[in-house]
Amino acid sequence: MGILFTKMFSSLFGNKEARILVLGLDNAGKTTILYRLQMGEVVSTIPTIGFNVETVQYNNIKFQVWDLGGQTSIRPYWRCYFPNTQAIIYVIDSSDTDRLVIAKEEFHAILEEEELKGAVVLIFANKQDLPGALDDAAITEALELHKIKNRQWSIFKTSAIKGEGLFEGLDWLSNTLKSGGG
Amino acid sequence: MFSLFYGLWKYMFSKTEFHVLILGIDKAGKTTLLEKLKSVYSNLEGLPPDRIVPTVGLNIGRIEVSNTKLVFWDLGGQPGLRSIWEKYYEEAHAVVYVIDATCPSRFEDSKSALEKVLRHEDLQGAPLLILANKQDLNDAVSSEELARYLDLKKLDERVYMFEAVSAYDGMGIKESVEWLVEVMERSKRTETLRARAGGPASA
Repeated sequence: MGILFTKMFSSLFGNKEARILVLGLDNAGKTTILYRLQMGEVVSTIPTIGFNVETVQYNNIKFQVWDLGGQTSIRPYWRCYFPNTQAIIYVIDSSDTDRLVIAKEEFHAILEEEELKGAVVLIFANKQDLPGALDDAAITEALELHKIKNRQWSIFKTSAIKGEGLFEGLDWLSNTLKSGGG
Repeated sequence: MFSLFYGLWKYMFSKTEFHVLILGIDKAGKTTLLEKLKSVYSNLEGLPPDRIVPTVGLNIGRIEVSNTKLVFWDLGGQPGLRSIWEKYYEEAHAVVYVIDATCPSRFEDSKSALEKVLRHEDLQGAPLLILANKQDLNDAVSSEELARYLDLKKLDERVYMFEAVSAYDGMGIKESVEWLVEVMERSKRTETLRARAGGPASA
């Protein structure tokens, strides 16, 4: 599966530097997803500015992961990671219904960022293996995805632990970027 | 002073942007239609039909026809996803409703979903284009036959047209887009949306 993904994305951006941000609240399963994709070693860095960014460099594409929510003082530094972002993968813990409102607010806040206006959005309704996990339609409603009208988006039910749904989502992503993006 | 002239210039020359919703039940061919539109009207290639997967979200296509910009919103058609359609009604200038003309067993589902769309007050006065899709296949019914099958009531208050198309090979696509542009340019709905947006050139 990892090799399939390799083929899928290797021709996608040519020689351009590209960035895909993998975002979500803490404990949504972002890092597990990156490991599941088996693209390379996840390098964790804690820069002096004080937030933890994990990076997977895959050919010319950088996958970068950090937690949304929490301290507001460090947020301006997020912007260092925004330029050349083609896509945002937003990961939700579908069983964490208590924090869905925060997840929604953080999500819409990040979409407001000027430098991310052109990025397409892939949502992973993750942790479908857990009891009580909401399905894609319910997560769509909770995140108010319909407010997105100027860019393409898609939602997939995933279980990072079981490896389900991830490649379907990435397939959509690579097709969308190939056909001209948002 | 500059901004005044700029405003005037914009008022006179900027292109109108129309939002067109592509709706229909699953497997009707909405995304294939969208990709065809992209490849016919823009320099984007558009995805080949065999790469298209069921939509669970929103696909967008932006095209330009003469002096008009069209933004197509293609929404997923599976039963669980149809509840999201109405969130896009308010800003839509027109609706394209796609039906798989080779699949009479699902005409009833198509019909009831369409009737629900037409009942919604946020879509009042929006022109409607109903596409009898998949004409490239032998067993496709004609647009007239489809119209008879659907037997839609209360359509006469709305500007509408049935068109036989193939999103696969492109049959009927240009005629459809020309009709859409023409009716949207002079529809009352467009005036209403313009007034709401607070300017003659915005949408």
